[in-house]
Amino acid sequence: MKIPLLCLLFVSALAAAGAAEQKVVVAMMPKAKGNAYFISCKAGADIAAKELGAELLFDGPVDTNAAKQNEIVENWITLGVDVIAVAAENKESLSTALRKAQRQGIKVIAFDSDAAPDARSFFVNQATPEGIANTLADEAARLTGGEGEIAIITATLTASNQREWLKRIEPRLAEKYPRMKVVAVRPSDDLKDRAQSEATALMSAYPDLKLIMAICTPGVPGAAEAVKQAGKAGKVKVMGLGLPNENRRYVKEGVTDCVILWNTGDLGYLTAYTAVKLVTGELKPGATSFKAGSLGEKRVVGDNVLLGEPFIFTRDNSDRFNF
Amino acid sequence: MKRPTTGAAPGWRRIVFRYETLLVVLLVIEWLVFYRFGTSTNRRGIVVGFGTMERQFDILRHSCEIGLLALALTPVILTAGIDLSVASVLGFCAVVFGRLWHDAGLPVWCAAGATLLAGAAAGGVNALFIARFRLPPLIVTLGTYSLFRGLAEALTRGAVTYTDFPVGFLFLGQERWLGLPTQAWVFLVVALFIWTLVHRRMTGRVFRVIGFSPEGARYAGLAVGRTTALAYVMAGAIAALAALIYTARLGQAKADAAVGYELFAITAVVLGGTSIFGGRGTVPGTLLGIAVIAVLKNGLAALPAVIRLNAAEESAGLLTGMLLLVALALGAAPKLLSARRPRTPLPENLPIPKSP
Amino acid sequence: MRRRELAVAGVLAVLLLVLALRAPSFFQGQPLRSLLTREAPVLVMACGMTVVILTRQIDISVGSQFSVCSVAAGLLAAHGWPIGAVIPFAVFLGFFLGAVNGALVAGLGLPSIVVTLATMVTLRQGLNLVQQGEFVNLPDRVQWFGLEQTPGQWSVLAIALAVLAGSAFALHSFAAGRHFYAVGSDAEAARLAGIRPRRVTFAAFAGMGALCGLAAVMNIVQSPQVQPLAGAGLELKAIAAVVVGGVAISGGRGSVWGGAIGLLLLACIPSALTHLRIEAYWEKAIQGGIILLACATEIARPRAKKSPPAKAAAA
Repeated sequence: MKIPLLCLLFVSALAAAGAAEQKVVVAMMPKAKGNAYFISCKAGADIAAKELGAELLFDGPVDTNAAKQNEIVENWITLGVDVIAVAAENKESLSTALRKAQRQGIKVIAFDSDAAPDARSFFVNQATPEGIANTLADEAARLTGGEGEIAIITATLTASNQREWLKRIEPRLAEKYPRMKVVAVRPSDDLKDRAQSEATALMSAYPDLKLIMAICTPGVPGAAEAVKQAGKAGKVKVMGLGLPNENRRYVKEGVTDCVILWNTGDLGYLTAYTAVKLVTGELKPGATSFKAGSLGEKRVVGDNVLLGEPFIFTRDNSDRFNF
Repeated sequence: MKRPTTGAAPGWRRIVFRYETLLVVLLVIEWLVFYRFGTSTNRRGIVVGFGTMERQFDILRHSCEIGLLALALTPVILTAGIDLSVASVLGFCAVVFGRLWHDAGLPVWCAAGATLLAGAAAGGVNALFIARFRLPPLIVTLGTYSLFRGLAEALTRGAVTYTDFPVGFLFLGQERWLGLPTQAWVFLVVALFIWTLVHRRMTGRVFRVIGFSPEGARYAGLAVGRTTALAYVMAGAIAALAALIYTARLGQAKADAAVGYELFAITAVVLGGTSIFGGRGTVPGTLLGIAVIAVLKNGLAALPAVIRLNAAEESAGLLTGMLLLVALALGAAPKLLSARRPRTPLPENLPIPKSP
Repeated sequence: MRRRELAVAGVLAVLLLVLALRAPSFFQGQPLRSLLTREAPVLVMACGMTVVILTRQIDISVGSQFSVCSVAAGLLAAHGWPIGAVIPFAVFLGFFLGAVNGALVAGLGLPSIVVTLATMVTLRQGLNLVQQGEFVNLPDRVQWFGLEQTPGQWSVLAIALAVLAGSAFALHSFAAGRHFYAVGSDAEAARLAGIRPRRVTFAAFAGMGALCGLAAVMNIVQSPQVQPLAGAGLELKAIAAVVVGGVAISGGRGSVWGGAIGLLLLACIPSALTHLRIEAYWEKAIQGGIILLACATEIARPRAKKSPPAKAAAA
């Protein structure tokens, strides 16, 4: 293969001449770009790109789709971007494409959900699946007093992040809170309306239900609306993963008890920052910390750049978040 | 853009005014536009974008599965049928393959063979209802569209993703053989097979006759049931083949494989000039339809303006939809001009019956 | 067709009976009313779909039309339009979208499945391009048309029932209604009988669009946010409901009541599975099975009653 060789030659020649005047091109791929979670990621990344004078491409499937992610990465490879940042829908399938990118001299990092470790240089880690699952389980236990029936609403039965979390929530509950029981797991197709119907059915099928946990962002407002319409606000607790703006109304009304979230804007900012600094050589493998613009000093553990702890969004702090 | 209505037109006209010629012209224009505006030199001095060989191979690799489904649908649509379930059968077969290889421990090539049989059997379910019981294909395959996707989910409880396939199998989806991506060869063989069947064998003629008039075909003593069944069983088997390629390309088998591909495949067939009412259509047309869509989708993703919008997929979908509308409207234009007046004029002296 | 409607009603009755025995909690007033209210918009669309299929056409762009109308209506409401102005706007926008389909199908004589496939993709992707999946937040007064929840739910249900009863009455008792049956059975014969098939076809699509607009409003008043993805997959649900309910895809046969029963059956399944403690993994497979089963009741029909050969070809 001559191309990588030529590519290397060019890179070294250019580096020697110091002629790299064009902007660094950062290509960032969410799992689903219509998802509010990733929309606010992009807003953060845009700020970082502006500060650093980089160009940001932000594209991904409209709804989670491993095959489309592959195709987009392959497009970027032939487009010759400088660095690719991905939130991998499926580790296995995307990593093949990412390794190909690395062979062509493109830097690769992952954010939100990791790719295979050898297919990327860094992972911008907002939380491990364990972290999310444990926080969800612990909050559920806090709200229910550690006992009773709970139901879970997911995006689709096949979405991989949902599986990761589910797989960890149930053992955590069994181990720490044996008197809590997951009675049903229902899909919502990432549709708020469907989540509402499912929550309504769950409440009537399980009259002793104490809590509905939605682990996809459209699910939380959907479940909350159902609980509100059933007049069971307070009796059936609602919690889940979501964004402040979609849930503020219900949190203020006391229907939704808590929403767990990351500062997704910061996640996007940190990802874009890491990406650019990796290209310019200011962040090298083996570093233990690096300065990420307005976020200040961030810890690097191994090849994980850590964002920090999740927020728990409740009635008391609902006005502090605007995203 | 006119189709020849009589055989009396001079030879050059018959070629120039063919629908396929229009598609070829469209394809060339597309390609040139993307080559001109979608290729550039990046800051490392490398030629990047649409013009690279790598990119052309990507187009081939990414369009193989939808292409196979479109090929599978061509005979079905020729018989005035439709198969909405092809992508669901693909998902079902991907899961069956994963299970046979991973859980049942079959050697990978045995599992692949069994998967092809499973696909044919799934097509057989459609065939049973459509050819044997003569139920409308749209409804039957709407049912199996849910059924097979549902079975795939039930078999894996939605959760299982089969990975770590042997390198020899992944070769099918990720490597090149004799200069072309491996799956392109599979695609070519299937295309040749379908072409032979539709254009060089009696079966192809029977497909068309059924499409024009199944009763007529029956009176003519043709094996209507058997030939219709063949089209659906074949569609199932080809969907299974596409499942293997999809699995090999991504290195994973999961219940949500190829969700929504049926729409792209039907679009490709119809854009290729096959009449949805049956009886009329060609395999080269389908191939061109696939190529036009695939180049459009990939090329748009290389255009700077589209990249800046961050909307390659949406713009490709939007343009494909509009292209289909324009192709349809153009196709209807000559017919409309000639058929402005109704065929049987209303009897002038008789009063029009008033509806009670 | 009477027979098919009875068969589907029978399946529904069996399902309800099983629920009554195994999970009587299904029949509680409020959750049941919520379930029905949630399905009311789909019922309105199923009525329109019945008419389209009766005229031997199909419209698979209804989910996209629904989404476009939802988002447009939601944005207007968010900009302070009163709900009284939003409703006619949404209906008119839907009418316009349906009229485009109608013009292409009836005016140019193009196959409806392909035309609406194209408009489905175009509208959906156009919406994605503009809205990028972001939710639209609605002001409080939009929910339940500004009424309390219970009267709000009843009014949504009342609109749906009015559309159902109105279309059933119109199809059955007005000459214009029976034109749909005539065109669906045999367009050429209808023409010779003095009916204008193109106008009838156009009307079916434009009416379908207007009903999509109405359904979109009936949906956005049920919660304070509009999700642009809402409506994805509704086309299959509406079509499945109608054909399960015995409306022949080959045109000219069936009724809106059949469509309503079919929808009721399909709508009960997810909720019934929850109540019967069956795992969600089987849901799609069961839905597919029921569609096939409903089809299979046709097998028992004596062949002689089948529609003439030309019609079978169009199916």
